[in-house]
Amino acid sequence: MRRKDRRNAPKPLASSTAERLATIVEAAERAAAEVIDDAEAQARGYLEDARSEADRMAAERLTAVADLADALATEVEDFQSRADRLLALLAELKAEAGGEPPPRGGHLKAVTLSAEEENGGHPPERGPGTPAGARLLATQMAVSGSSREEIATRLRTGFEIEDTASILDAILGPED
Amino acid sequence: MRTYRRAPVDFVRGEGPLLWDADGKEYLDFLTGISVCSLGHCHPAVVAAVQEQAGRLMHVSNLFYTEPMARLAERLAESSLGGRVFFSNSGTEAVECAIKVARKHAHMRGIAAPEIVSFEGDFHGRTYGALAATPGMAANEALGPMLPGFRSVPRDDAAALRAAVGESTAAVLIEPIQGEAGVYPISDEALLAAREACEESGALLILDEIQAGLGRTGSLWAFEQTPVRPDAIVTAKALGGGMPIGACIAGPAAAEVLEPGDHGSTFAGGPVATAAALAVLDVLDDPALLRRVRELGAELRAGLEALDGVRETRGRGLMVGVGLEDGIDAAAVGADLLERGLVVNVPEPGSLRLLPPLLVESSHIERSIGLIGDSLLGLSRA
Repeated sequence: MRRKDRRNAPKPLASSTAERLATIVEAAERAAAEVIDDAEAQARGYLEDARSEADRMAAERLTAVADLADALATEVEDFQSRADRLLALLAELKAEAGGEPPPRGGHLKAVTLSAEEENGGHPPERGPGTPAGARLLATQMAVSGSSREEIATRLRTGFEIEDTASILDAILGPED
Repeated sequence: MRTYRRAPVDFVRGEGPLLWDADGKEYLDFLTGISVCSLGHCHPAVVAAVQEQAGRLMHVSNLFYTEPMARLAERLAESSLGGRVFFSNSGTEAVECAIKVARKHAHMRGIAAPEIVSFEGDFHGRTYGALAATPGMAANEALGPMLPGFRSVPRDDAAALRAAVGESTAAVLIEPIQGEAGVYPISDEALLAAREACEESGALLILDEIQAGLGRTGSLWAFEQTPVRPDAIVTAKALGGGMPIGACIAGPAAAEVLEPGDHGSTFAGGPVATAAALAVLDVLDDPALLRRVRELGAELRAGLEALDGVRETRGRGLMVGVGLEDGIDAAAVGADLLERGLVVNVPEPGSLRLLPPLLVESSHIERSIGLIGDSLLGLSRA
């Protein structure tokens, strides 16, 4: 009796419980795997969206920066051109009247303009009506931010120069 | 010591263009501590810079570098003549430095007894070197003997200046606009004569911009509205926004003249004063502000010239002298204006001097013109 055939015998209670537990665990694991898969899919979706949004914003920024850079480049070119013109004038004035050119904008290199080029192709005026002092006055006032009208007024009152256009055009460029 | 005839007012607070006395009375300040508080009283940027620097580092002496001092020297030189900068505690000390530079520069050219030429009416300071270059006060024999090697010529006399400058001249030291004398701009002709005479003789042209510089005339430096470039300038007053600081800026022709041991100062260029000056320059070195100074100056002068009792106005930007008609006691007008709540100065009989804050508004300009008009009217009836 101790060695009875147990194949046809009913399953013991412990075995049946273990199987049930295994089934439950298996189902739970399957459910968890599905949750994880869903979460991963969602995360991939979010990442995808975020990437698209970032790409869109970056493209917009790049366009804006490019526009700004173009505008700045134009302004810098304009400033460079004016600075070169002023420095060239100062170099000539230094030769005419002595003294040193101003250090403001000293990091810029002066271009070499002939007197004719400065004066719109005409020979430079050297008469008493446009002394070097008047041109230095006009140049310094322009560098310090004075307007065309303010400089013209000073040239008229300080130097009795009625036709200030040639000096002002040489320094500030022709009036628009 | 009783070195000043002080007005009977005890000021206790200031903000922008306004002052208040101990009784709570409000004043519109059109003197700004003689052009020191050009940004108005207690400008927040200056106050913050002083507070921040005072809490970080106050003094180490000139035996060492400090960042605010180095930055300020670079900024002053770059904005004016290039070259080098010597810091001082006041305008008169900046002039002392300029005199040393001029004399040593002359000795280097073989001049044994160098001379400095100024205009009558110039005011350069009260220490003995600067005093000797200030003809009006150097004549005070009770303070003699004066430092030798100084001479003067009549104000704005180009021919006399040319004649006075010769082989022994070390420098022409002049104010581009005479402030203490009553606000008298030097003519373009006289300035050009000074420049040319210096070129011919090898002397230095030194402009005293202690009062006229730093935006007061509508450009950062007064010489920028003249037909000359000086070899050196001296500045002070508005530089510290209320903190005591001055500077001698020597351009390339004079930058290397002084060497270690030639000059010095214990406190000069200290971190707090230089930090304040950097804050001042941050505000002042602004084309829009400087243009506004020129516009408001024109507005002020036009309004004043329309008043009965005003003979003329002089100056540039917001540095304005007001010439009163003969018979009007300027001192009485000044005292009456103080009563009415407007602070001005009377630099000479017959003139008022107006040095309003550079950040003043049109409404303040109108108010000042109204008060001056009322005062002139009231006194003419009295």
